[in-house]
Amino acid sequence: MKEIEQPTRNNLEGIGGWLNPSRYGWERISYWFQRLTGVFLLIYFIGHVYETSTIVNGQNAWESFLELTQTVWGHLFLIMVIGASTFHSANGIRLVFTHVGIGLGTPGRPDYPYSPASLNYRQKSGIWIALILSAVAMYYGFNVLFGV
Amino acid sequence: MSCSECNQTIMQSHTLLKESQIMKIHYITGIAAIFVVAVHILMRLVVPFEQSLEYEYIIANYKNILYVLILESILVLISVHGFNGIRIILLELRQSRAWENMVTIVTISAMIALIAYGTRTIILVNGL
Repeated sequence: MKEIEQPTRNNLEGIGGWLNPSRYGWERISYWFQRLTGVFLLIYFIGHVYETSTIVNGQNAWESFLELTQTVWGHLFLIMVIGASTFHSANGIRLVFTHVGIGLGTPGRPDYPYSPASLNYRQKSGIWIALILSAVAMYYGFNVLFGV
Repeated sequence: MSCSECNQTIMQSHTLLKESQIMKIHYITGIAAIFVVAVHILMRLVVPFEQSLEYEYIIANYKNILYVLILESILVLISVHGFNGIRIILLELRQSRAWENMVTIVTISAMIALIAYGTRTIILVNGL
């Protein structure tokens, strides 16, 4: 069987393509945030698994590690984690719905100015809801961590 | 054989699961993780935050078999979801068979290593 020839590198823009601000719409910001928060949360998760493993070495090891993380900067970092996880979850649910066809609307004729029917108010509302929920969660986290 | 069938045969020849199946796993692990992480966070919030980080409180958490199961499921769900997410990002940036194989092997290895390391913590603390 003849194999289909695969180019060695299709996406020439790479990460630079993600970061190019000249083509930003809400959908593009959402795409970028979803990946950025995902990578950030995985890094946090690996750190968190390592952090909690110090408890195996006893109370002193646990408390000395806590001294490193329970600081103002540690709390600010946790608030960023709260915001990132809330956005990633809410926007992720929107993406699951979109993938199964919910919220896409009906196909329409592409008339000028060629706004895609799929990028409708439902999608934009979903992105806004994710951003608002994220801000609310960060505010709540700030109150808990700083005892305001 | 049509071209799409031919393409599918080629893809199936070197992957265990189809991408559509992997995406379903990605979505299921993501949604399931939301629920178990919510329980994990609630365990921190049912007592004052400072108290929730005390050594004795954490050890008591690890002795609760139901909570241990939740912790293990968080570990597995987020590791699978997170490392598959990294795999998807890396495959979006570059496409070739060698790259795909390398990315798949590295992400699966890292996922297994993280699950093993976290499970070790859970087992050891449970026995303290």
